[in-house]
Amino acid sequence: MKVTMHHRLGVLALASCLTLTGCMSSGSSSSGDDGDGPITIGISLPLTGDFSEPGKGVQRGYEAWADYVNENGGLLGRDVELKILDDQSNADRVASDYEKLINQDGVDLVFGPFSTRLVVPAAQVAKDYGFLFVEPAGAAEEVFTQGFDNLFYAAPAVADDHYNYLADAIEALPEADRPKTAAYAAMDDPFAMGTAYGLKTRLEEMGVETVVDEVYPPNTTDFGSIAAKIADSKADVVVGGTQYQDAVNMIVALRQLNYQPKMAAFSTAPTNPEFPEAIGKETEGILSPTGYTPEADYPTNAEFVEYYTEKNGTPPAEDEANAWTTGQVVAAAVEAVGCADPDPECQQQLIDWLRENEVDTVVGPLSWDAEGRPEGAHLIQQYVDGKIRIVLPEDAAEADLILEKPHW
Amino acid sequence: MSLFFQSVVLGVLLGGLYALLAAGLTLYFGVMRVVMIAHSAFLILSAYLAWWFTTETGLDPLLSLVVTVPLFFVAGVLMQRLLISRLRPATLTMMSVLLTFSVALVIEGMLGFVFSGTQRRIRLPYSGDSLELFGANIAVVKLIAFGLAAVSLGALFLILKKTQFGQALRATIQHPDAARLIGINTDRIAGYGFGLGLATAAIGGTALALDSTIYPSLHWHWIGPLMAIIVVGGLGSIPGAAIAAMLLGLGQSLLQIPLGTTWAQTIFYLALFATLMVRPQGFFGGRLAQRF
Repeated sequence: MKVTMHHRLGVLALASCLTLTGCMSSGSSSSGDDGDGPITIGISLPLTGDFSEPGKGVQRGYEAWADYVNENGGLLGRDVELKILDDQSNADRVASDYEKLINQDGVDLVFGPFSTRLVVPAAQVAKDYGFLFVEPAGAAEEVFTQGFDNLFYAAPAVADDHYNYLADAIEALPEADRPKTAAYAAMDDPFAMGTAYGLKTRLEEMGVETVVDEVYPPNTTDFGSIAAKIADSKADVVVGGTQYQDAVNMIVALRQLNYQPKMAAFSTAPTNPEFPEAIGKETEGILSPTGYTPEADYPTNAEFVEYYTEKNGTPPAEDEANAWTTGQVVAAAVEAVGCADPDPECQQQLIDWLRENEVDTVVGPLSWDAEGRPEGAHLIQQYVDGKIRIVLPEDAAEADLILEKPHW
Repeated sequence: MSLFFQSVVLGVLLGGLYALLAAGLTLYFGVMRVVMIAHSAFLILSAYLAWWFTTETGLDPLLSLVVTVPLFFVAGVLMQRLLISRLRPATLTMMSVLLTFSVALVIEGMLGFVFSGTQRRIRLPYSGDSLELFGANIAVVKLIAFGLAAVSLGALFLILKKTQFGQALRATIQHPDAARLIGINTDRIAGYGFGLGLATAAIGGTALALDSTIYPSLHWHWIGPLMAIIVVGGLGSIPGAAIAAMLLGLGQSLLQIPLGTTWAQTIFYLALFATLMVRPQGFFGGRLAQRF
């Protein structure tokens, strides 16, 4: 009985200590906006819930970037300090998180959360306070149609532009060598459909006839009938707006019907390490766009990959790279303008600078249109000699583009 | 024309697979009035075991049936004896939904824990091979799955029709009280019936694994269409389920030509609604099902 009492007192004492220190630390951070202390950056991320996997990836990228900056002299000579809250993948929570970060914690800058669903409410709060809002994920069109004049997407391209390099390469062919017909099959999902229909728009402009245009729900288990339609059309090109299992099932179903296209492009799945395991050696010639690869030889990328790998033990993936890119973009604006504080005038200068300038990042040079869409395209990768390699654009290519896909 | 014929071929193959996957589901209901939500989870479990067997040994996934069929039979008997038989008869059907729902969640969670959420596919040297028949391609893997379905459904039919156990099982399905009066141990028979149903899940899951990419939560995509099939076919009737599976599989495949994938899927639910409105006992079973 006595022991229990002691325990209770101990817990009470500990709790009050925690409360006190909690108050003290929040007190000190709110006074950090006077220009001399560290630059605090407020971030809310989905560390639990639906998006916790990619959310943690973005967190690793942000933290690696902050450590790297601090080890290399800081930003404007000041250290950067991240203040990361967990929004539990909840859209209401993310808005109140950014309210709190800007209002109570007095952060100097904010970085965006993960994915369209959370980016939109967060960007609204940032806009209300006149903050610059650079975000690492949120490629769907609805992000750019809400009238945000403070938003910039820190990745090479929105979904519709993923295949632009491939479209350019096809357009550069002599007319007689271009494909004549194309078949499209896309999952009913804004991202997957965006990639396929972006290429569809470009190919149709070149006069490539659309012979199949199928949209299937995400729960589709049988791809035999979709494959039968595509095989029956004998299209020169097949384009899949796919995630993962749908692409694998569709490719096998197409092979079973003995359909041999001249060109086959699928989003997402081919860049997954499981893909060659599932398909076997018949991957040869399959194309896929990718937003990031550790092998890309953009300036600063090698440094990023080396630093990140040393810190985390594995090379960075796309989420980590986009988070790092967000840091690079904001840092470039801060260094150019020479200010980093919550004052609307400073934030407006940062926004105006990014509107006008191009920033070199680990995913390539980025510039934006008036709504914050990046004006680049994704690298195009292709399976060449059993390995996935960058084939487009030519100045980043690791291997030559195979135009006539071998039989699968 | 060739697209139409190809779709008919694909539809028949698909219908055969549906029939195999639905057979166990209708058997549980017939024997015990149990709605077995976990049936499709067991299908995915057996698919994972086939995948694991092939990655570990390099042998053909069909050989895994030697282990999984008896294993699933025993698991089914145990599940019936230890879990299902403890539910109160008055609320059995309703409570079995809850109980088997939780079993499905446990299986899904275990698969995710052991094999991770990564999507897997068995890599077969013949996965893309096909035979040509009057201009239509018949995939070898789909043909094997169809063959497995035909053989298992045939064997199930013979067991129920020709063996003493089958007679006892049918008696238990038709009238449990009368069956007990003539000396049938209906509890034990029900356990074996449940085991038999789960054994078909072992075969169905392996057939499924030959030609699809699997992941732990895949079973939710299957349970809806399978439930629709057994209601349309008449709950408890295996031939009814087989006929309904064939018609719906063929219908889905053919409707995809004019309507596309999204609308073609609704055939299952339209058929389900129509059946419940017009003929709630099912189109091919009903009173006939009582006599098998």
